[in-house]
Amino acid sequence: MATTVRQPVDPNVVRKFHFTREMIEGPVYRKYEKAIRKGWSVEDLDFAQDAKDWNRIEDEQKRGLLGVTVRFLAGEQNVTDELIPMLAASHALNRFDWIVYLSTFLMEEAKHAEFFMRWHERVVGVLEPEEVAQHFLVRGKTIDPRGRFEVRDVLHEALPHYGRQLMEATMGGAEAEIERSFVAFSAAYNAFVEGVLTMPSYEIVIDTTEGWNAFPALRKGFRLILMDEGRHITFGTYACKLLIKKDPSYEDEVHRVFDAYRGNIVGLVEYQKAVPGLDLNKYQTMKVRHYRNRCREMGITPDETLIEQILDPSIDFVVGVEAG
Amino acid sequence: MTAIAKRWTCVEAGCDYKLVAPDVVSAIEGAQRHIAEAHSSFELEEMIEDVLEDVPAPDRG
Repeated sequence: MATTVRQPVDPNVVRKFHFTREMIEGPVYRKYEKAIRKGWSVEDLDFAQDAKDWNRIEDEQKRGLLGVTVRFLAGEQNVTDELIPMLAASHALNRFDWIVYLSTFLMEEAKHAEFFMRWHERVVGVLEPEEVAQHFLVRGKTIDPRGRFEVRDVLHEALPHYGRQLMEATMGGAEAEIERSFVAFSAAYNAFVEGVLTMPSYEIVIDTTEGWNAFPALRKGFRLILMDEGRHITFGTYACKLLIKKDPSYEDEVHRVFDAYRGNIVGLVEYQKAVPGLDLNKYQTMKVRHYRNRCREMGITPDETLIEQILDPSIDFVVGVEAG
Repeated sequence: MTAIAKRWTCVEAGCDYKLVAPDVVSAIEGAQRHIAEAHSSFELEEMIEDVLEDVPAPDRG
Protein backbone atom coordinates (compact mmCIF):
# COMPACT_ATOMS: atom_id res chain seq x y z
CA MET A 1 0.00 0.00 0.00
CA ALA A 2 1.07 3.59 -0.59
CA THR A 3 1.87 5.86 2.29
CA THR A 4 -1.19 7.11 4.14
CA VAL A 5 0.21 10.61 4.69
CA ARG A 6 -1.06 12.88 1.95
CA GLN A 7 1.14 15.79 0.97
CA PRO A 8 -0.34 18.81 -0.81
CA VAL A 9 0.15 18.35 -4.54
CA ASP A 10 0.32 20.72 -7.44
CA PRO A 11 -3.13 20.81 -9.17
CA ASN A 12 -1.35 20.96 -12.52
CA VAL A 13 0.18 17.58 -11.74
CA VAL A 14 -3.15 16.20 -10.50
CA ARG A 15 -4.72 17.16 -13.84
CA LYS A 16 -2.38 14.75 -15.60
CA PHE A 17 -4.37 11.82 -14.17
CA HIS A 18 -7.94 10.96 -15.13
CA PHE A 19 -8.97 7.68 -13.56
CA THR A 20 -11.23 7.90 -10.52
CA ARG A 21 -12.94 5.23 -8.47
CA GLU A 22 -16.32 6.59 -9.51
CA MET A 23 -15.32 6.36 -13.20
CA ILE A 24 -14.12 2.78 -13.12
CA GLU A 25 -17.31 1.70 -11.38
CA GLY A 26 -19.46 3.60 -13.90
CA PRO A 27 -21.46 2.16 -16.81
CA VAL A 28 -19.24 3.49 -19.61
CA TYR A 29 -16.01 2.11 -18.17
CA ARG A 30 -17.79 -1.23 -17.64
CA LYS A 31 -18.61 -1.25 -21.37
CA TYR A 32 -14.90 -0.77 -22.07
CA GLU A 33 -14.02 -3.71 -19.81
CA LYS A 34 -16.65 -5.87 -21.47
CA ALA A 35 -15.39 -4.94 -24.95
CA ILE A 36 -11.89 -6.04 -23.95
CA ARG A 37 -13.22 -9.27 -22.41
CA LYS A 38 -15.42 -10.15 -25.39
CA GLY A 39 -12.87 -9.45 -28.12
CA TRP A 40 -13.00 -11.66 -31.23
CA SER A 41 -11.01 -11.95 -34.43
CA VAL A 42 -12.15 -12.18 -38.06
CA GLU A 43 -9.26 -14.57 -38.69
CA ASP A 44 -10.86 -17.12 -36.35
CA LEU A 45 -13.86 -17.47 -38.69
CA ASP A 46 -13.84 -20.23 -41.32
CA PHE A 47 -15.36 -19.08 -44.62
CA ALA A 48 -15.01 -22.45 -46.44
CA GLN A 49 -18.66 -23.56 -46.05
CA ASP A 50 -19.91 -20.11 -47.06
CA ALA A 51 -17.87 -20.32 -50.28
CA LYS A 52 -19.44 -23.72 -51.05
CA ASP A 53 -22.93 -22.34 -50.30
CA TRP A 54 -22.30 -19.36 -52.56
CA ASN A 55 -21.57 -21.69 -55.48
CA ARG A 56 -24.79 -23.68 -55.02
CA ILE A 57 -27.44 -20.95 -54.52
CA GLU A 58 -29.52 -19.43 -57.34
CA ASP A 59 -28.64 -16.13 -58.99
CA GLU A 60 -31.74 -14.47 -57.51
CA GLN A 61 -30.64 -15.50 -54.02
CA LYS A 62 -27.14 -14.17 -54.72
CA ARG A 63 -28.56 -10.80 -55.79
CA GLY A 64 -30.80 -10.62 -52.71
CA LEU A 65 -28.00 -11.51 -50.29
CA LEU A 66 -25.39 -9.27 -51.92
CA GLY A 67 -27.83 -6.37 -51.73
CA VAL A 68 -27.59 -6.63 -47.95
CA THR A 69 -23.95 -7.58 -47.46
CA VAL A 70 -22.53 -4.96 -49.83
CA ARG A 71 -24.55 -2.28 -48.06
CA PHE A 72 -23.07 -3.46 -44.74
CA LEU A 73 -19.57 -3.45 -46.32
CA ALA A 74 -20.01 0.21 -47.27
CA GLY A 75 -21.81 1.09 -44.02
CA GLU A 76 -19.19 -0.36 -41.69
CA GLN A 77 -16.40 1.46 -43.53
CA ASN A 78 -18.41 4.66 -43.26
CA VAL A 79 -19.12 4.41 -39.53
CA THR A 80 -15.41 3.67 -38.92
CA ASP A 81 -14.56 6.77 -40.89
CA GLU A 82 -17.11 9.03 -39.19
CA LEU A 83 -16.47 8.35 -35.48
CA ILE A 84 -13.66 10.85 -34.93
CA PRO A 85 -15.95 13.82 -34.08
CA MET A 86 -17.30 11.86 -31.11
CA LEU A 87 -13.79 11.23 -29.80
CA ALA A 88 -12.80 14.87 -30.27
CA ALA A 89 -15.95 16.07 -28.51
CA SER A 90 -15.45 13.64 -25.61
CA HIS A 91 -11.95 15.08 -25.16
CA ALA A 92 -13.33 18.62 -25.20
CA LEU A 93 -15.96 17.64 -22.59
CA ASN A 94 -13.24 16.09 -20.35
CA ARG A 95 -14.93 12.69 -20.50
CA PHE A 96 -11.92 10.38 -20.24
CA ASP A 97 -14.17 7.37 -19.62
CA TRP A 98 -15.96 8.06 -22.93
CA ILE A 99 -12.60 8.26 -24.75
CA VAL A 100 -11.39 5.01 -23.19
CA TYR A 101 -14.61 3.26 -24.27
CA LEU A 102 -14.60 4.87 -27.74
CA SER A 103 -11.13 3.41 -28.37
CA THR A 104 -12.78 -0.03 -28.40
CA PHE A 105 -15.77 1.29 -30.35
CA LEU A 106 -13.54 2.53 -33.19
CA MET A 107 -11.49 -0.67 -33.25
CA GLU A 108 -14.70 -2.74 -33.40
CA GLU A 109 -16.12 -0.73 -36.29
CA ALA A 110 -12.86 -1.27 -38.19
CA LYS A 111 -13.12 -4.98 -37.41
CA HIS A 112 -16.70 -5.12 -38.68
CA ALA A 113 -15.55 -3.52 -41.94
CA GLU A 114 -12.73 -6.09 -42.07
CA PHE A 115 -15.25 -8.91 -41.58
CA PHE A 116 -17.34 -7.82 -44.56
CA MET A 117 -14.23 -7.19 -46.67
CA ARG A 118 -12.96 -10.72 -45.94
CA TRP A 119 -16.38 -12.33 -46.48
CA HIS A 120 -16.74 -10.71 -49.93
CA GLU A 121 -13.15 -11.52 -50.84
CA ARG A 122 -13.18 -15.16 -49.76
CA VAL A 123 -16.80 -16.12 -50.49
CA VAL A 124 -17.87 -13.98 -53.45
CA GLY A 125 -14.42 -13.16 -54.86
CA VAL A 126 -14.85 -9.38 -54.91
CA LEU A 127 -12.91 -6.74 -52.97
CA GLU A 128 -11.87 -3.73 -55.08
CA PRO A 129 -14.25 -0.75 -54.87
CA GLU A 130 -15.21 -1.09 -58.56
CA GLU A 131 -16.12 -4.76 -58.03
CA VAL A 132 -18.32 -4.36 -54.97
CA ALA A 133 -19.93 -1.10 -56.12
CA GLN A 134 -21.70 -2.99 -58.91
CA HIS A 135 -23.86 -4.70 -56.30
CA PHE A 136 -24.66 -1.62 -54.18
CA LEU A 137 -28.38 -0.87 -54.10
CA VAL A 138 -28.76 2.85 -54.59
CA ARG A 139 -31.45 4.35 -52.39
CA GLY A 140 -33.60 7.25 -53.44
CA LYS A 141 -34.52 5.68 -56.76
CA THR A 142 -37.85 4.69 -55.32
CA ILE A 143 -39.78 7.19 -53.27
CA ASP A 144 -43.10 7.05 -51.53
CA PRO A 145 -45.50 7.03 -54.49
CA ARG A 146 -47.89 9.30 -52.58
CA GLY A 147 -45.12 11.83 -52.00
CA ARG A 148 -45.54 11.94 -48.24
CA PHE A 149 -41.99 10.94 -47.34
CA GLU A 150 -38.57 11.77 -48.64
CA VAL A 151 -35.98 9.03 -48.62
CA ARG A 152 -32.41 10.17 -47.97
CA ASP A 153 -29.06 8.42 -47.55
CA VAL A 154 -28.74 8.66 -43.80
CA LEU A 155 -25.41 6.83 -43.56
CA HIS A 156 -23.55 8.77 -46.21
CA GLU A 157 -25.34 12.08 -45.77
CA ALA A 158 -26.48 12.49 -42.16
CA LEU A 159 -23.37 11.14 -40.41
CA PRO A 160 -20.92 13.43 -42.26
CA HIS A 161 -23.34 16.36 -41.77
CA TYR A 162 -23.80 15.92 -38.01
CA GLY A 163 -20.12 14.95 -37.67
CA ARG A 164 -19.01 18.20 -39.30
CA GLN A 165 -21.38 20.13 -37.04
CA LEU A 166 -19.91 18.40 -33.97
CA MET A 167 -16.31 19.05 -35.08
CA GLU A 168 -17.10 22.73 -35.62
CA ALA A 169 -18.69 22.97 -32.17
CA THR A 170 -15.69 21.19 -30.65
CA MET A 171 -13.25 23.56 -32.30
CA GLY A 172 -15.39 26.50 -31.19
CA GLY A 173 -15.08 25.36 -27.59
CA ALA A 174 -18.49 26.44 -26.19
CA GLU A 175 -19.53 23.57 -23.89
CA ALA A 176 -23.29 23.84 -24.44
CA GLU A 177 -22.83 23.86 -28.22
CA ILE A 178 -20.57 20.79 -28.06
CA GLU A 179 -23.15 18.99 -25.90
CA ARG A 180 -26.05 19.90 -28.19
CA SER A 181 -24.11 18.80 -31.28
CA PHE A 182 -23.01 15.62 -29.50
CA VAL A 183 -26.65 14.71 -28.88
CA ALA A 184 -27.55 15.34 -32.54
CA PHE A 185 -24.58 13.28 -33.79
CA SER A 186 -25.23 10.44 -31.37
CA ALA A 187 -28.95 10.47 -32.19
CA ALA A 188 -28.07 10.03 -35.87
CA TYR A 189 -25.22 7.53 -35.42
CA ASN A 190 -26.11 5.43 -32.37
CA ALA A 191 -29.87 5.80 -32.04
CA PHE A 192 -31.08 6.15 -35.64
CA VAL A 193 -28.58 4.24 -37.81
CA GLU A 194 -27.22 1.63 -35.40
CA GLY A 195 -30.16 1.48 -33.02
CA VAL A 196 -33.24 1.44 -35.23
CA LEU A 197 -32.58 1.40 -38.97
CA THR A 198 -29.99 -1.38 -39.04
CA MET A 199 -31.42 -3.71 -36.41
CA PRO A 200 -34.00 -5.36 -38.73
CA SER A 201 -31.25 -5.85 -41.33
CA TYR A 202 -29.25 -8.00 -38.90
CA GLU A 203 -32.28 -10.15 -38.25
CA ILE A 204 -33.05 -10.37 -41.98
CA VAL A 205 -29.60 -11.83 -42.65
CA ILE A 206 -29.80 -14.20 -39.69
CA ASP A 207 -33.35 -15.30 -40.61
CA THR A 208 -32.40 -15.70 -44.29
CA THR A 209 -29.28 -17.76 -43.69
CA GLU A 210 -31.13 -19.93 -41.18
CA GLY A 211 -33.99 -20.39 -43.67
CA TRP A 212 -31.52 -21.41 -46.39
CA ASN A 213 -29.46 -23.48 -43.95
CA ALA A 214 -26.40 -21.81 -45.41
CA PHE A 215 -23.60 -19.29 -44.75
CA PRO A 216 -22.67 -20.21 -41.17
CA ALA A 217 -19.70 -17.81 -41.07
CA LEU A 218 -21.83 -14.90 -42.24
CA ARG A 219 -24.42 -15.67 -39.56
CA LYS A 220 -21.75 -16.04 -36.87
CA GLY A 221 -20.14 -12.78 -37.94
CA PHE A 222 -23.47 -10.98 -37.72
CA ARG A 223 -24.06 -12.33 -34.22
CA LEU A 224 -20.59 -11.23 -33.08
CA ILE A 225 -21.07 -7.80 -34.61
CA LEU A 226 -24.44 -7.46 -32.89
CA MET A 227 -22.83 -8.07 -29.48
CA ASP A 228 -20.50 -5.13 -30.15
CA GLU A 229 -23.34 -2.98 -31.49
CA GLY A 230 -25.31 -3.44 -28.27
CA ARG A 231 -22.50 -1.61 -26.44
CA HIS A 232 -22.13 1.07 -29.13
CA ILE A 233 -25.84 1.89 -29.17
CA THR A 234 -26.26 1.98 -25.42
CA PHE A 235 -23.09 4.05 -25.00
CA GLY A 236 -24.59 6.68 -27.30
CA THR A 237 -28.02 6.64 -25.73
CA TYR A 238 -26.51 6.74 -22.21
CA ALA A 239 -24.37 9.76 -23.15
CA CYS A 240 -27.46 11.45 -24.60
CA LYS A 241 -29.41 10.69 -21.42
CA LEU A 242 -26.73 12.37 -19.28
CA LEU A 243 -26.61 15.43 -21.50
CA ILE A 244 -30.41 15.71 -21.83
CA LYS A 245 -30.72 15.45 -18.06
CA LYS A 246 -28.32 18.39 -17.80
CA ASP A 247 -30.28 20.44 -20.38
CA PRO A 248 -33.72 19.03 -21.35
CA SER A 249 -33.83 21.24 -24.47
CA TYR A 250 -31.30 18.82 -26.06
CA GLU A 251 -34.17 16.34 -26.47
CA ASP A 252 -35.35 18.43 -29.43
CA GLU A 253 -32.14 17.50 -31.28
CA VAL A 254 -33.06 13.82 -31.15
CA HIS A 255 -36.53 14.43 -32.55
CA ARG A 256 -35.14 16.74 -35.24
CA VAL A 257 -32.78 14.00 -36.46
CA PHE A 258 -35.49 11.33 -36.55
CA ASP A 259 -37.85 13.74 -38.28
CA ALA A 260 -35.30 14.67 -40.96
CA TYR A 261 -34.88 11.02 -41.93
CA ARG A 262 -38.41 9.84 -41.15
CA GLY A 263 -38.97 8.33 -44.61
CA ASN A 264 -36.07 5.90 -44.17
CA ILE A 265 -37.63 4.41 -41.05
CA VAL A 266 -41.23 4.46 -42.17
CA GLY A 267 -40.51 2.70 -45.49
CA LEU A 268 -39.41 -0.88 -45.93
CA VAL A 269 -35.80 -1.54 -46.88
CA GLU A 270 -35.03 -3.10 -50.22
CA TYR A 271 -33.82 -6.45 -48.92
CA GLN A 272 -37.10 -7.06 -47.15
CA LYS A 273 -38.57 -7.57 -50.58
CA ALA A 274 -35.40 -8.87 -52.28
CA VAL A 275 -35.31 -12.01 -50.12
CA PRO A 276 -38.43 -14.11 -50.75
CA GLY A 277 -40.33 -15.64 -47.83
CA LEU A 278 -39.57 -13.11 -45.10
CA ASP A 279 -42.29 -11.92 -42.71
CA LEU A 280 -42.24 -8.21 -43.61
CA ASN A 281 -44.54 -7.21 -40.78
CA LYS A 282 -42.06 -8.59 -38.23
CA TYR A 283 -39.38 -6.11 -39.27
CA GLN A 284 -41.68 -3.07 -39.17
CA THR A 285 -42.97 -4.04 -35.73
CA MET A 286 -39.38 -4.56 -34.61
CA LYS A 287 -38.41 -1.04 -35.69
CA VAL A 288 -41.06 0.31 -33.31
CA ARG A 289 -39.62 -1.75 -30.44
CA HIS A 290 -36.12 -0.50 -31.13
CA TYR A 291 -37.30 3.11 -31.50
CA ARG A 292 -39.18 2.94 -28.20
CA ASN A 293 -36.18 1.31 -26.56
CA ARG A 294 -33.77 3.99 -27.76
CA CYS A 295 -36.13 6.69 -26.43
CA ARG A 296 -36.42 4.85 -23.14
CA GLU A 297 -32.62 4.58 -22.86
CA MET A 298 -32.27 8.32 -23.56
CA GLY A 299 -35.07 9.18 -21.13
CA ILE A 300 -37.13 10.98 -23.78
CA THR A 301 -40.72 10.75 -25.03
CA PRO A 302 -41.21 8.81 -28.29
CA ASP A 303 -42.88 10.54 -31.24
CA GLU A 304 -46.20 8.67 -31.48
CA THR A 305 -46.88 9.86 -35.04
CA LEU A 306 -43.65 8.17 -36.16
CA ILE A 307 -44.76 4.94 -34.49
CA GLU A 308 -48.18 5.11 -36.16
CA GLN A 309 -46.57 5.68 -39.55
CA ILE A 310 -44.15 2.76 -39.17
CA LEU A 311 -47.07 0.47 -38.32
CA ASP A 312 -49.48 1.89 -40.94
CA PRO A 313 -49.97 -0.92 -43.50
CA SER A 314 -50.97 1.59 -46.16
CA ILE A 315 -47.45 3.05 -46.08
CA ASP A 316 -45.54 0.25 -47.77
CA PHE A 317 -43.13 1.88 -50.20
CA VAL A 318 -39.74 0.25 -50.61
CA VAL A 319 -36.58 2.24 -50.13
CA GLY A 320 -34.26 1.92 -53.13
CA VAL A 321 -34.24 -0.90 -55.66
CA GLU A 322 -31.59 -0.19 -58.28
CA ALA A 323 -28.12 -1.70 -58.25
CA GLY A 324 -24.86 -0.08 -59.28
CA MET B 1 -34.49 -2.67 4.57
CA THR B 2 -36.68 -3.42 1.53
CA ALA B 3 -35.24 -5.94 -0.91
CA ILE B 4 -34.89 -4.64 -4.47
CA ALA B 5 -35.85 -6.54 -7.62
CA LYS B 6 -35.44 -5.66 -11.31
CA ARG B 7 -38.40 -4.95 -13.59
CA TRP B 8 -38.32 -5.05 -17.40
CA THR B 9 -41.18 -3.98 -19.65
CA CYS B 10 -41.52 -5.14 -23.26
CA VAL B 11 -42.14 -2.27 -25.71
CA GLU B 12 -42.98 -4.35 -28.79
CA ALA B 13 -46.05 -2.87 -30.50
CA GLY B 14 -49.19 -4.32 -28.91
CA CYS B 15 -47.34 -6.07 -26.07
CA ASP B 16 -47.57 -5.07 -22.41
CA TYR B 17 -45.52 -7.92 -20.92
CA LYS B 18 -43.64 -7.10 -17.73
CA LEU B 19 -41.29 -9.24 -15.70
CA VAL B 20 -39.83 -8.84 -12.25
CA ALA B 21 -36.63 -10.75 -11.51
CA PRO B 22 -34.43 -10.94 -8.43
CA ASP B 23 -31.29 -9.74 -10.25
CA VAL B 24 -29.92 -8.35 -13.51
CA VAL B 25 -28.80 -11.71 -14.92
CA SER B 26 -32.19 -13.37 -14.51
CA ALA B 27 -33.98 -10.25 -15.80
CA ILE B 28 -31.88 -10.40 -18.98
CA GLU B 29 -32.52 -14.13 -19.40
CA GLY B 30 -36.26 -13.67 -18.89
CA ALA B 31 -36.49 -10.72 -21.28
CA GLN B 32 -34.54 -12.54 -24.00
CA ARG B 33 -36.75 -15.61 -23.58
CA HIS B 34 -39.88 -13.48 -23.92
CA ILE B 35 -38.63 -11.69 -27.08
CA ALA B 36 -37.68 -15.03 -28.67
CA GLU B 37 -40.88 -16.87 -27.78
CA ALA B 38 -43.45 -14.09 -28.16
CA HIS B 39 -41.91 -12.07 -30.99
CA SER B 40 -39.53 -14.51 -32.79
CA SER B 41 -36.80 -11.94 -32.38
CA PHE B 42 -33.92 -11.14 -30.06
CA GLU B 43 -32.89 -8.35 -27.72
CA LEU B 44 -29.27 -7.57 -26.83
CA GLU B 45 -28.33 -7.75 -23.17
CA GLU B 46 -27.17 -4.12 -22.91
CA MET B 47 -30.53 -2.97 -24.25
CA ILE B 48 -32.27 -4.85 -21.47
CA GLU B 49 -29.82 -4.00 -18.71
CA ASP B 50 -29.87 -0.27 -19.42
CA VAL B 51 -33.64 0.05 -18.97
CA LEU B 52 -34.18 -2.17 -15.92
CA GLU B 53 -36.08 -0.44 -13.14
CA ASP B 54 -35.55 -1.00 -9.43
CA VAL B 55 -38.75 -2.14 -7.72
CA PRO B 56 -39.47 -3.66 -4.30
CA ALA B 57 -38.95 -7.41 -4.40
CA PRO B 58 -42.21 -9.39 -4.27
CA ASP B 59 -43.12 -10.66 -0.80
CA ARG B 60 -42.22 -14.35 -0.73
CA GLY B 61 -44.00 -14.94 2.55
